[in-house]
This record gives sequence, C-alpha cells and structure tokens, in this order.
Amino acid sequence: MELLILIVSFFILLIIGVPVGWALGISGILTLLTGLDSMTALTTFGQQFMTSLDSFTLLAIPFFILAGQIMNRGGIAQRLIDFAKSLIGSLPGGLAHINVVAAMLFGAIAGSSVAAASAIGSILNPRMKEEGYSKEFSAAINVTSSSMGLVIPPSNILIIYSLASGGTSIAALFIAGYIPGILTGLFLMIIAGVWAVRKKFPVGEKTAIKKILKSFLAAVPSLLLLIIVIGGIVAGIFTATEAAAIAVVYCLVLAFYYREISHKDLPAILMSSIATTSIVMLLIAASISMSWVMSFANLPQDISAALLALSDNKIVILIIINLILLVVGMFMDMTPAVLIFTPIFLPVVAELGVDPVHFGIIMIMNLCIGICTPPVGTLLFVGVSIAETTIVKVIRPLLPLFVGMLFALLLVTFWEDLSLFLPRFFDLM
Amino acid sequence: MRKIVDKATRGTLIFLMAFLVINVVWQVFSRYILNAPSTFTDELARFLLIWVSLLGVAYLSGQNAHISIDLLQNKLNPAGKMRLQILINSLIIAFAFFVLVVGGGHLVYLTFVFTQLTPTLQIPMAYIYLIGPICGLLVIYYKLSDIRRLLSDGYDTFPADLDKSRIQTGP
Amino acid sequence: SKEQQGEQKTIILAHAMHATHPVTLGMNYMTERLEEISDGRLTVKTYPTSQLGGERELLELVQIGTVGITKVSGAALENIVPAARVFSLPYLFRDEEHYRKVVDGDIGREILDAGTAFRLKGIAYYDAGFRSFYTVDRPIITPDDLRGLKIRVQPSVMAINLIRAYGGSATPLAYGELYTAFQGGIVDGAENNPPSFYSSRHYEVTNYYIINEHTAVPDFLVISTPLWESLTEQEQQWLQEAIDESVHYQRVLWDESVLESMEAVKAAGVEVIYPDKEPFRERVMPIYDTFRESYPDLYQLVERIREIE
Ligand code: NA
Ligand code: NA
Repeated sequence: MELLILIVSFFILLIIGVPVGWALGISGILTLLTGLDSMTALTTFGQQFMTSLDSFTLLAIPFFILAGQIMNRGGIAQRLIDFAKSLIGSLPGGLAHINVVAAMLFGAIAGSSVAAASAIGSILNPRMKEEGYSKEFSAAINVTSSSMGLVIPPSNILIIYSLASGGTSIAALFIAGYIPGILTGLFLMIIAGVWAVRKKFPVGEKTAIKKILKSFLAAVPSLLLLIIVIGGIVAGIFTATEAAAIAVVYCLVLAFYYREISHKDLPAILMSSIATTSIVMLLIAASISMSWVMSFANLPQDISAALLALSDNKIVILIIINLILLVVGMFMDMTPAVLIFTPIFLPVVAELGVDPVHFGIIMIMNLCIGICTPPVGTLLFVGVSIAETTIVKVIRPLLPLFVGMLFALLLVTFWEDLSLFLPRFFDLM
Repeated sequence: MRKIVDKATRGTLIFLMAFLVINVVWQVFSRYILNAPSTFTDELARFLLIWVSLLGVAYLSGQNAHISIDLLQNKLNPAGKMRLQILINSLIIAFAFFVLVVGGGHLVYLTFVFTQLTPTLQIPMAYIYLIGPICGLLVIYYKLSDIRRLLSDGYDTFPADLDKSRIQTGP
Repeated sequence: SKEQQGEQKTIILAHAMHATHPVTLGMNYMTERLEEISDGRLTVKTYPTSQLGGERELLELVQIGTVGITKVSGAALENIVPAARVFSLPYLFRDEEHYRKVVDGDIGREILDAGTAFRLKGIAYYDAGFRSFYTVDRPIITPDDLRGLKIRVQPSVMAINLIRAYGGSATPLAYGELYTAFQGGIVDGAENNPPSFYSSRHYEVTNYYIINEHTAVPDFLVISTPLWESLTEQEQQWLQEAIDESVHYQRVLWDESVLESMEAVKAAGVEVIYPDKEPFRERVMPIYDTFRESYPDLYQLVERIREIE
C-alpha cells in the first residue's frame, strides 16, 4: 500500500512538472502520513529533511564547485587541460578520456564520488562544451566514472558495509575493490571512445615534445594545485572535504596573481556556487528523507523477502539480488541501502558460498549504478546540476555507459577472482 | 518588496558561504600548522552547511531554478500552462507549510523546551533547526508572489524554464 | 477472544548498533523475553544499525513520538539530560564492581528518572565497558607519552577536556572516517572499549592498545515518557521484567565479548599495554574542579558516587 502511494504520487508529480526535489518530498510525506499521526509524521519528515544535510562529506560539493568556478574564470583550468591534451594527443574522444581517468582517480583518492563529480565536472564541462561535446554527454561520463571512486579504495561506503556485515575485514574489502573498479573504468573509456567516434567529436593532434614541454611549463602552477590537493590527502594533512576548502584558497590566490579575477567578482562567484549547490541539496535532502520513509515502512525488507523466496539456485538468487539492488538503487540513497540490505542478503549468499568480501564489492557496484540512475540518484543530481542540464536529457548518453557498468557487474558477480585474487594474494583473507 | 527579500537573502548566503570556507581552512590550519586542532570547526561547518543549503533552496525556488521535468508543460496552451503553474506552486506551498513550517517549527519547539545542546559548541540545537521554518516561510512568500504575478500578468512573463544564466547572482 | 486478552501493542525500538554487537544481542533478548512474558500481547519491532538515524536523531525521534524505545550512549544523552553528564567524568569509578553498584543502586535509578521530564525516561543501563587509548605509532606507558598526539574524540566537551589534560590534541572526527584517517595519518590515536576497537576493525591500522580505562560511560535504554505512561501497569511490569532479565544477560555477553575481542586483537598483532593507571587518574583531577564550577548540582552526585563502597 505504502509502496503504491509512494510511487504513484511521485510519478504524477514528476509528470505534471513539480520540481523533482519537491516531488520527492511531497510523495515522501504523503507516504509517511499513512503510517503515523499527522503531527508526528510532519515533525519527523521535517527533522529528516534537515538532518540529511548534516554531513561533513557533503561539504565537498560547494567547495569543489567553488574551486572549479574560480579555476575556470582564472585560467587555471585551461592551462591544466591544455597540458593533459598535449599528453594524450590523438586518442578519439580525448577530453572524454581525461574526464573518466580524472574523475576515477580523484574519486579513488578522495573516497567521495560527489567530491569527484563536483571537482572534475566543474573544471572539464566548460572545456568539453567548447570542443563540441554535449553537456549531457559530459555529465553522463562524469557521474559514471566518479562513482568508481567508491569501489576503488579508500572508500567510506565499504567501511559502512564492513560494520553492517558484522565486521568483514576493511583491509580485504579495500584491496578487493581495485580490479573491479579499474575494469569498470576501462569499459567506460571504451564506450566513450566509440561514442566520440560515432558523434565525430574532435580528435586532438599529435603534439611535438617541444609543445608538450611548453604547455607543461605553463601548467606548473595549476599542477601544483593537484599536488597540494592529492598530496595533502595522501600524506594525511587534510581530509578530502578539507582539501576542497584548501583548493578554493589556492585557486583564489592564483587567480588574483594572474589578475583574471578581482575582489569585486567574489560575491558573484560565491553566489553562483551556492546556486548549483542548493539545487543539489534540495534533491539530496528530499531523497534521503524519502529513503528514510522507505526504511520506516519496511519496503525494502518486504520486497526482498518476496523475491528471494522464488528460487534457491545460486545463479538465480545472485541475479535476483542484483536486480533488487539495481531497482532499489534507482530510488534509494546508498548508505541506507547498504545498512538495510547487508543484513538481509548476506546470510542468503553466505549459505550459497559467496564470500562476504566478494559480496561487498557486488553490492557497492550495484549501488554505484544506482546513484547514477534517475529518478533518484545523488551523484546524478550533482552531475546534472553542474552541467546545467536536465535529468531527462542525460538519460540517452547514460544508457550505453550503464551497459558497460552492468557488464562489469556481471563479470564481478560470477567471477569471484576479480574481487578475491588480490586479497588472497596479500594474505588478507 | 521581492527585490529587497532577494537582496537580503543573497547577502546572507554570501556571508555564510564565505564564513564556511574560512571555517574549514582554519580547521586544517589549526591542526596542521598550529598543532592545536580546533574542536568546534567540524560541528560549525556541518551546521553552516545546513543553513546555506536550505536558505539557498528557498532562494532558488524564488528563481524557479529547481530541476523539473517539463513533459506536460510543453503540450498545453497558455491558459492551461498558467493553471498548471498555479497548481505546482500551490503544492510546493503546501509542502513548505506543513513540513518545513509546522513540522520544522515543532522540532524547533521540542529541542528548545527540552533544551538540547549541540555536542561541542553547546548551543541550543533549536538555533540550527530554525532554518527549517525560515526556509519554509521564504518559499511560501516566493510562491505566493509567483501565483499573484501569474494571475495578474498571465503565463508569458513567467520564467519557467531552467536556465541557470537567469539566476540572479550579482549584488 | 481479543477482548479478553486485551489490546495487542507493538513498540518501535530503533538503535545505531550493528547486528552482532553484545548490546544488540541484549536488546534482542529483551524483545524475545517480552513477547514470551506478555504472551504476544506486547511486541517490539526493531530497526537496527542506524536505519532510522544516529543516536542524536533517535533521541529526537523518541521525543517526537515516532520511535518508542532507543539505546544511546551516555555521551549522546547528556546533551539533553544533564544528569547523564556525570558518567563522562574520567576515573569516576574505582573499578567495574564500583560501577555496577552505582548503576544498580539508587543513584543509577535517579539518573534514569532524570530523563522523564525530557520525554526520555531511562529504563536500563547496558554495559559499555571501560574506554582506553589505542595508537598507531607510539606505545603509551605514562600520560606524558600522549603529549602532542592527535587523538580522535567523540564530539563532547568532556572528551575534549580529557585529551587536553594529557597534553594531547583532541580531534573531533566522524567515527566512520576514523579508519581512513588512521591510514592517512590525520590522527595518531583514538579511544574506545575492546569490543568496539575490535568490531570497528581499527586494530587493522593501529598497533598499540593501552588499557588505561579512563571512562566507563554506560549505554542507556530510553523509552518515550508518554508511551510509558500509556502502558497499563501490567504491561509496564512485563516490560520491566524483560528488561531486567536482558540486563543480566547482556553483562555476561559483554564480559565474554571483552575477552574475545582482546584475544582477537592480540592475535592480529596489536601490542596490549597495561600501564600504571594512577598517574593517568591524577592528571585529570582538575577536570573535577571545572565540573564543580559548571554544574554545582551535579557535583553532589559525584560525591555520592564516591561514597559508595
Ligand atoms: Na576511493
Ligand atoms: Na538512482
């Protein structure tokens, strides 16, 4: 019953054109009102709406957007991208590949996919647009590759899985993520390359060593930013979120030095990053609140129980679990999904002989697709908002990329060595 | 009137955002350079983010900048579009009133009468939750004023499309 | 028929512990016993592992009336119920026996009842053991060894003052980020009880566990006051009985869990150090002076706790 109210009201509101965030909120509160008395329901939903934003990790969004905007105005980004392009030269879809690798690397190191999408998206999107890539394609490639930062260590979501699973080794989970994450990234690059060739996106020219050197020298101050941000995180000087704030300050100093912005531009730059951030935050607040309503109404548990009873064949069960996680991932945020589904699925798959480390990777890969899918996906919201496009328009370029991610997921699900070879090799399990 | 509200909200947002950046930079500086980690910045940053986000949400709803799907919108005649816009705005007003003003206000009340203090700053949690009703009231103001404008000027003057370049960011 | 049996009621219990934690098992035992004792007329629906929110939010949900019962650490409760603050004082208890005498006695009852006025009626203490330091690189033998170390603390004024008293740098950090913070070197150490040190897997990235046992902050089982008052006397009795049984059961589980965790972290290569606790105790005594100034009323509780033999 609750499920019906939730889904029907949400889609009606979406179709008549209520902004997605408000639509999520309205259908969430309607659903909650069926289970609680009105004042309790309203207060609870109000509380969830506010506390869902109470997270130090989310701070990375406004900061990296801000840093990206300063970099773009200040010419810092241009110098960086010129250098990267001179390196990869004539590969088809050059900037798209830079996007995949940069977002994956950044997400991997920062351990935060929204940080990666915010940082890389706000730097690369304007350049990709100049070269003729559509905003939608840039957003699609940016969000899918940023999600892999959650599979490649370090990754806070794998730590949450470890706790929810009753203490699976974090060291083993971390190292198990490398191959599946990088494999998915490779698939994304292949698909982006094919897409770029078909759409006839520009192919860079082979660059002479001399030119590479020249663009390298021009990019040194900009490269220093990368060294500070990434080096600072790796050396333990600051966390990924704090790195974003440091990046803002460094970019400001550099932009003032290049005299490409003045203090008079600051309020507008700040306001513009607030605008992008707030669009994302409404969606995040509303979708996490809706996830809460789903947990409270026991929807995930009920659906899983019904579907898991259908078979006891290992392959069928694993496929059912993947499908449930994919569908749930369309509507639910990642953290609540991990907290709810781990205790439901782990005993089932353990009985079938699936290792908890292997299952952790399967689960996170599923939910990584989920945070990129409409109608509800945190990462999708970030990417779409930064690219200044809409969810509907992004679906088309997302589809082939999802095929690549699903193919990687299938391989990882049924070929356990992809996850378990490394942890076994290093004697972590 | 609306211009004054816009300007005040923008000013507050810019101030809070600048404060937020300085706060987190100070967190790193005090820990790494001074080797005396500041103990309040983490909490302050999280609460400032809630404030910036929700105030920003309200401001952007005034700019009609929240992401929506405009499938039906495009298929209607101007009169239909106007009626639909009034319906959408009314739904948003209802949500803002019941959830943010009533629900959020009740939470402010509860955390105030049963004094809950924040863990490290030890200030009343009610101050943080106050942004809920504030955001709600602002959204209601903007949407009511949109409805009034629709009724008096018709649909044509109404900025319904998402176009970020239209969001007013200047002073 | 249903009329003879009385109304069937379901209470919502939500908490933030993972499924195999000894405190979780204690609560599960309580819900099983309650169902048996009440012959199915009083049942509990449980939402574990922060599914409905962290401890601070859960306390609010109890006040709002969405959740009936929750389990929170004293460190979370003290921001609403001032009396719970005394438990955060370091070296308040001489030993485990002293701790158990206090929470089982009149003072324990008094502090539980102090929550009633805040819609958070305390109904039981679960053991959460003694908290001790663990570090990455430096073995701690005396309090001076903590000087200059960045120690992650729970967001709590008392916890911050404790680290400062030892000359360390108190670093508030989300618990979920701590594991990677150790790897990166953002913090040098943290503090917790043995079962949490083990289940958080922090022993994978730290090397020394120093059993200095600075605080013993219990876990509180808290019920919504209006819900409690809406129960019949009979139902209150059933609930109290099930809870009392689960408290004893949980203590046995806790003690076992401490032993198992210590074995496991030692087997994983962590060096466990048993320092002389006296210098650690002496160093934090000034905290009591500050506490007396800030909370003169609560300081009487401290004196009464000390008097208990
Ligand atoms: Na990562
Ligand atoms: Na999704």
